[in-house]
Amino acid sequence: MTGSLTAMRFGRHFPLIPALALVFAMFAVPVAFVFVEAVFAPEFSLAHFDRFFTRSVYLTVYWNTLFVSATVASICLLIGYPMALFIVGQPERRRPLLLFLVLVPLWMSILVRTYAWMVVLGREGIVNSALLWTGIIDQPMTLMFTTGSVYVAMVQILLPIMVVTCYSAMTEIDPGLVRAARVCGAPPFAAFRRVFLPLSLEGALTGWSVIFILSMGFFIVPALVGGRRDVLLGNMIVNQIAQANWGFAAAMAIVLLVSTVVLLALVRLVAARFLYSPREV
Amino acid sequence: MKNRLLPAVLFTLGVLFLFFPILIVAPMSFSGDRFLGFPPESWGLIWYEAYFSDPVWLAATWRSLRVAAVSALIATLAGTAAVVGLTRLSRRWRAGFTGLMLAPAIVPNVIVALGIFMLALRFGSTDSEVTLIFAHAAVGLPFVVMIVGAAYRQTDPTLEKAARVFGAGPLRAFWTATVPPLVPAIAAAFIFAFFVSFDELVIALFLMGGSETLPVRIWNDLRFEINPTIAAISTFFVIVTALAMGLAEFLRARATRKQGNS
Repeated sequence: MTGSLTAMRFGRHFPLIPALALVFAMFAVPVAFVFVEAVFAPEFSLAHFDRFFTRSVYLTVYWNTLFVSATVASICLLIGYPMALFIVGQPERRRPLLLFLVLVPLWMSILVRTYAWMVVLGREGIVNSALLWTGIIDQPMTLMFTTGSVYVAMVQILLPIMVVTCYSAMTEIDPGLVRAARVCGAPPFAAFRRVFLPLSLEGALTGWSVIFILSMGFFIVPALVGGRRDVLLGNMIVNQIAQANWGFAAAMAIVLLVSTVVLLALVRLVAARFLYSPREV
Repeated sequence: MKNRLLPAVLFTLGVLFLFFPILIVAPMSFSGDRFLGFPPESWGLIWYEAYFSDPVWLAATWRSLRVAAVSALIATLAGTAAVVGLTRLSRRWRAGFTGLMLAPAIVPNVIVALGIFMLALRFGSTDSEVTLIFAHAAVGLPFVVMIVGAAYRQTDPTLEKAARVFGAGPLRAFWTATVPPLVPAIAAAFIFAFFVSFDELVIALFLMGGSETLPVRIWNDLRFEINPTIAAISTFFVIVTALAMGLAEFLRARATRKQGNS
């Protein structure tokens, strides 16, 4: 009796097994192994973490990674929020096409898009050729291998995600609420600021967080269009792996993962405190 | 009037910025010059010829297509089954397992790549397409769970129950009542998972020492020179991707619209 009951229960949950096996074998166990390797290679010690947090080389890269990720996410928010706002303001029939336009670049490989920026920004690239040809400059400018080129490429790669996240949050807002504010005498901007903006902030924050997370793991863009000073944590991990420094690479991976999680929890906490706290109007 | 024009102009500028790279790379790929210059002085297909006649590039391309197809198939089958399995769990377990299955999309691939590589070294399974296929399947799984899950939540569970009442076994009821409306979403999920794998660089970079996938080949090439062949490959695959993703988006949109009407 109990046997058949167990069999039934097993049968009920059988559909979950392949996916769980896959996630365990190719994700959970490898990530857990990175944790183990970070403290047990070759024997238990926190030396790798100690090395990371006491050498200024690594700390500089660490702060740079946090700073670049936060900046890229903020730039994406500043550009992406108004773009989403524009789409939401259009007649419903036209929206899918506009959203489609924003989404198409997302389907190009990150490598390909980075390559395109190399072609555009290089010393003999398109920007320089065009400026030389028109006579605006007479010496090619250094555009590649600069911090600016890293920002341009990263924003271009991640911007569609922000637009989509903001857009889906905005479509959830009842347009009647803004209309009600207008009827009650609020000028258009006040209606937007007091009603629409607060309601869309959660979506904007989600977009910011997603882009922050993705930026933290970037390494293709800084490696190809960035200079020596634009190295991110992802690049250092890749370099350490290439040199077979497993323990140190693992320790850096843990620092990357834990800082991302802690920082996002912090952002959520601060947001919950200041954005969504009910207050008198 | 001014208030309506300004957002439109800003939106157009934003879209142009997003399209800028491909608007540049596509014409360059048809350059007939030996070196990248803009505008090209002559036109031709020499870079496409260079790509389609180079055994190294072609081998990398076939390997990528193979790995992407098989890993997307695994991710789609496992993910679709999981969507069904998840709904049978209590709320608490469901939240936990869903989080676990979505996690590979959030944790940076560098970390997953490091873990898989170190484990593969221990088990001697580096340089193996099979390891890479399963690794890519795990990275593609979250997208399948998200896309198929969204479609599954909109299906009518009474259909499957009705099939059971009329005497169909659990598998048959699932197959004839629940699956058909999900087909477009499953197809879309497959295409997404395919391109997640087709694009993936870092896991393949570590795992596949000698046998490069297409992204690895491009990566190794780009670090030394800006090879115009890559412009041709990029353009070729942007067109293929745009067609495939357009199809996926169309299928997905049609699936949600259909269910919204009924």
